[in-house]
Amino acid sequence: MAAEVSSGTKDPARADKVGADDYLRIVDIRKEFDGFVAVDDTTLSVRQGEIFALLGGSGCGKSTLLRCLGGFEKPTAGKIYLDDQEMNDLPPYERPINMMFQSYALFPHMTVEQNIAFGLKQDGHKRDAIARRVDEMLTIVQMTKFGKRKPHQLSGGQQQRVALARSLAKSPKLLLLDEPMGALDKKLRSQMQLELVNIIEKLGVTCVMVTHDQEEAMTMAHRIALMDSGRIRQVGTPDEIYEQPTSRFAAEFIGSVNMVNGRIEEDMADYVTIRSPKLEHLIHIGHGVSGFEGQEVSFAVRPEKLSIGKTEPTQPHNKAEGIIEDIAYFGSHSVYHVRLANGTKFMANFANMQRWASESLTWNDKVWVSWGENAGVVLTS
Amino acid sequence: MSGRTQRWTSWAILGLGFAFLYVPVLILMVYSFNESRLATVWSGFSFKWYGELLRDKQMLSAAWISIKIAFLTASAAVVLGTMAALVMTRMGKFPGKTLFGALITAPLVMPEVIIGLSILLMFVSLGQMVGLAPKGIASIWIAHVTFTLAFVTVVVSSRLAELDKSLEEAAMDLGANRIKVFFLITLPIIAPALVSGWLLAFTLSLDDVVISSFVAGPNSTTLPMKVFSSVRLGLSPKINALATLMILVVAVAAFIGWWIMHRDEKRRKLDMQMAAKEK
Repeated sequence: MAAEVSSGTKDPARADKVGADDYLRIVDIRKEFDGFVAVDDTTLSVRQGEIFALLGGSGCGKSTLLRCLGGFEKPTAGKIYLDDQEMNDLPPYERPINMMFQSYALFPHMTVEQNIAFGLKQDGHKRDAIARRVDEMLTIVQMTKFGKRKPHQLSGGQQQRVALARSLAKSPKLLLLDEPMGALDKKLRSQMQLELVNIIEKLGVTCVMVTHDQEEAMTMAHRIALMDSGRIRQVGTPDEIYEQPTSRFAAEFIGSVNMVNGRIEEDMADYVTIRSPKLEHLIHIGHGVSGFEGQEVSFAVRPEKLSIGKTEPTQPHNKAEGIIEDIAYFGSHSVYHVRLANGTKFMANFANMQRWASESLTWNDKVWVSWGENAGVVLTS
Repeated sequence: MSGRTQRWTSWAILGLGFAFLYVPVLILMVYSFNESRLATVWSGFSFKWYGELLRDKQMLSAAWISIKIAFLTASAAVVLGTMAALVMTRMGKFPGKTLFGALITAPLVMPEVIIGLSILLMFVSLGQMVGLAPKGIASIWIAHVTFTLAFVTVVVSSRLAELDKSLEEAAMDLGANRIKVFFLITLPIIAPALVSGWLLAFTLSLDDVVISSFVAGPNSTTLPMKVFSSVRLGLSPKINALATLMILVVAVAAFIGWWIMHRDEKRRKLDMQMAAKEK
């Protein structure tokens, strides 16, 4: 994974560079604070024009990594290249990178126009060129009417648009978003997520965002890096991360999941069976996995991939009997919490396709949950 | 206890508190209009002591010296105090930081007598060693800056500490180097703290008598020193008149300051409500 970086030439890895696949390269970045390792030897590549999300809980190192990109933190070790230019020794004000801060950080003593013009002024552009660019940015974020206002005269959503316009005004090579929706209420959030993506994609700017909100990452990003305690656990598109988690951590972090531990009983090229002490019946996987007989594994299956019903399924495996302990009604679907005789709990989603259809199943009903042979994943780590 | 007596009691306590604070001042102001030469015997209403005060050349020149010193002190203390506050809040960790912080704020708790004496000793030894000791106004100025510096540092660094650091980072991110960030972003935002630090230093310098007495030479008698020495020769209603004028000036200035802040705050709240309603 980690690329060798020798000193001397400007970019030793340039030879095997393919297109703009690694427009931004983060190579073995490590950041320590007084002995605490915030980012642990992380290597990442981001494509040109991509929206890339760093997703993780608080303290996972995602913000530190973002601040290293912005130049606000100096990495303890490792290199950052953007468009083949090394960034490490450049101060924030010399990097072709702009950031939208979580608090928006709009200058309170300046108007919206002055805020957007600030970066352009620092570059010493002509006055009328600046005015034209400011108008252009205000049009893009649909804030032309508000140019003369001060930040405190704007609502949260409007402030965010101004912050975005300000960070895009200098046409940066890389845009950083720090928890972009963190300061908005939930309803505005989903609207702004799509709007933000539209603007960023229209301008074609490469973007790295940080978020703790999996829905936000899945809605906005083309690819996601899942981070945990300073390390990247998985990189992939939203559906790869959701449907093919490679670790227990990934499966549990994104969405909800039913997980049971077991041991591989039969390891064939085209199918695998797993015996779990928690389940009466075998788990049958309809494809081969990279494992060996007797190996300890976890089996993870999402609640929406489970079927629930009162009659016993005809298949000999992939099923369990229990009673309904709890029903959570979400409007569009309900989640049934089913408890097996040995105490193991399963969650099964049930789409409410007809009004009152869910009435047929209720508390303390004896039910069967079952799943298809390709519904779940086998996790070894 | 019934609600009524409770309310009555709290009003009474409030009244007592105000009386404790302001009755002496009121008495002083009333007696400034006393016709009599005796400060404590009322004989009739008159403005005569105000006239006397304005004809007192010594008193007026002392007042002028005091204002000059206070102005210079406040200006220098704000510059140095802001620099010290920046070091404390923006420099990160460096060896001796805690010691530096303690030394900066020590004059807040150090007795003025000691500050005055030590500065006098320093000036004397400077004079002996290099033959160049500051005299008159300059010596009081230096001494006053030394002790007001601490107050300015405390005021400014508390404002800097609560300033959203991402504002400065955003400015840097947009291409401003550290010096530009300070003058274009930090300074305008912390300006109110600088103003209050300046006013604090100004008043502290204006009413200091202990430190000034130690370091003042001939021809640099400040107003508080003059008042102090004339009171020792007997209470003069002229002093009451002077005090009343000073209270008036301070009260008007404080009221204008409060009114401007109150108006801005109200306007700001209204703006924010309007913005929230729009969308």
